[in-house]
Amino acid sequence: METSNFHEDMDGLVQQIGINFDHIWQKTLTVLNPMKPADGSIMNETDLTGPMVFCLAFGATLLLAGKVQFGYIYGISVLGCLAMHTLLNLMSVTGVSCGCVASVLGYCLLPMIILSGCAVLFSLQGVIGIPLALIVIGWCSLSASKMFISTLAMEGQQLLVAYPCALLYGIFALLTVF
Amino acid sequence: MAAAATGSGEGGGGRGEWGTFEASSSAVIDMENMDDTSGSSFEDMGEMHQQLKEEDDVGEEPVPTEEDDGAFLGVKGLKGQLGRDVADQVWQAGKRQASKAFNLYGNIDILRPYFDVEPIQVRNRLMESLIPVQMINFPQKVAGELYGPLMLVFTLVAILLHGMKTSGTVIREGTLMGTAIGTCFGYWLGVSSFVYFLGYLCNAQITMLQMLSLLGYGLFGPCIVLLVTYNVHLHSLFYLLWFIIGGLSTLRMVAVMLSRTIGQTQRLAICGVLAALHMVFLLYLHFAYHRIVEGARVLCWDLAAQVSSIPWKDLMLGQ
Repeated sequence: METSNFHEDMDGLVQQIGINFDHIWQKTLTVLNPMKPADGSIMNETDLTGPMVFCLAFGATLLLAGKVQFGYIYGISVLGCLAMHTLLNLMSVTGVSCGCVASVLGYCLLPMIILSGCAVLFSLQGVIGIPLALIVIGWCSLSASKMFISTLAMEGQQLLVAYPCALLYGIFALLTVF
Repeated sequence: MAAAATGSGEGGGGRGEWGTFEASSSAVIDMENMDDTSGSSFEDMGEMHQQLKEEDDVGEEPVPTEEDDGAFLGVKGLKGQLGRDVADQVWQAGKRQASKAFNLYGNIDILRPYFDVEPIQVRNRLMESLIPVQMINFPQKVAGELYGPLMLVFTLVAILLHGMKTSGTVIREGTLMGTAIGTCFGYWLGVSSFVYFLGYLCNAQITMLQMLSLLGYGLFGPCIVLLVTYNVHLHSLFYLLWFIIGGLSTLRMVAVMLSRTIGQTQRLAICGVLAALHMVFLLYLHFAYHRIVEGARVLCWDLAAQVSSIPWKDLMLGQ
């Protein structure tokens, strides 16, 4: 009885601080499956819990590969979010908040964590690493652009949104590969 | 009761203390809504005397006031509520001016029309940037958009970063990212401004936005050349691509400028400067980061030759 009350209290506390595990899981599945259509109402939420965890995980996997790049990750993330926020507000009619942009870009960093995990096992500066990095960059940018166009109703401009995302994730790939 | 804020009187340095009052709103201060510390009421006078008495008992230094004889009881009010009101009005006036300036010049919506493009338009303009126009008697149309040029500049930054990483470039004063961004944006903005200035002197019919767009799309050729030559290290291949692809993108820009400039001397000046800067920039980007790779390869060959010249057999046999 006391255990169930404790779990109920914890669930209420988690909801009060704005963490929705179901939405986090939905967003993660949307990233992992680029072909899955994105729900615009969920993507428009400003949830930074998942992105923060993913950034830390990315830094941790790079650390396992012998690279201490936490500062670069945070710096590039902040600058990239600001740049994407400016660009999307210029390109879209409705506009988007900086938190939403940071949330989407953070969630779509998940495939890059897989790449950095591979960097722990073998060197990516080779015949296998470069194509793998290109695939992961395309995966991340496709997922991010899919989420952005579902939120901003920018059908027909997915390529224009995907390209700057690809440039941003390309920088992360450079950190991972070299 | 309202009183004009004159700053004079035995307040001592009121005008000098407040400075010049430039607010557009009225300078009349409403004295009716002053707080209890205004010093204008009988209760405040009693409070002031009580405070002075307590300070004398404790032995602290009395609060310095100019009206030691207590002749003008409103001094504390001038320094208290009046000063706060003046400061508040100055702050509000400054805030209004800053908001007006920001809404006029810092509004992001000013740039919104320049990012309204379709993917097919960007693709066509990228292709056209490598095709020199033949008709120069009529002003050629230049797309007034910034999305394509901006993405090309960022692409060049990414290619430079890739080149620096593969060649093992070490920047002692700064970072790789800062160097790449500074180089690319510096070229795009700096050369655009310089050529626009030359165009202004030579009466060329081109705006700053069109110049930025023209030079930005002109970076498509260098992007292709560098992407290939940073991965395939052949000097002959680079020179060939530099001449063909770099030359095509330069010819395209030169043809557009020729169509928009009148006068032989003026055309020669603008087009010569633009062509020289564009071709030399591509040379610089290649050799600034390629030489290290070349140097490392030469070093390895020399080392291999030296190692192979050592008589290992004799050393092993102890001779």
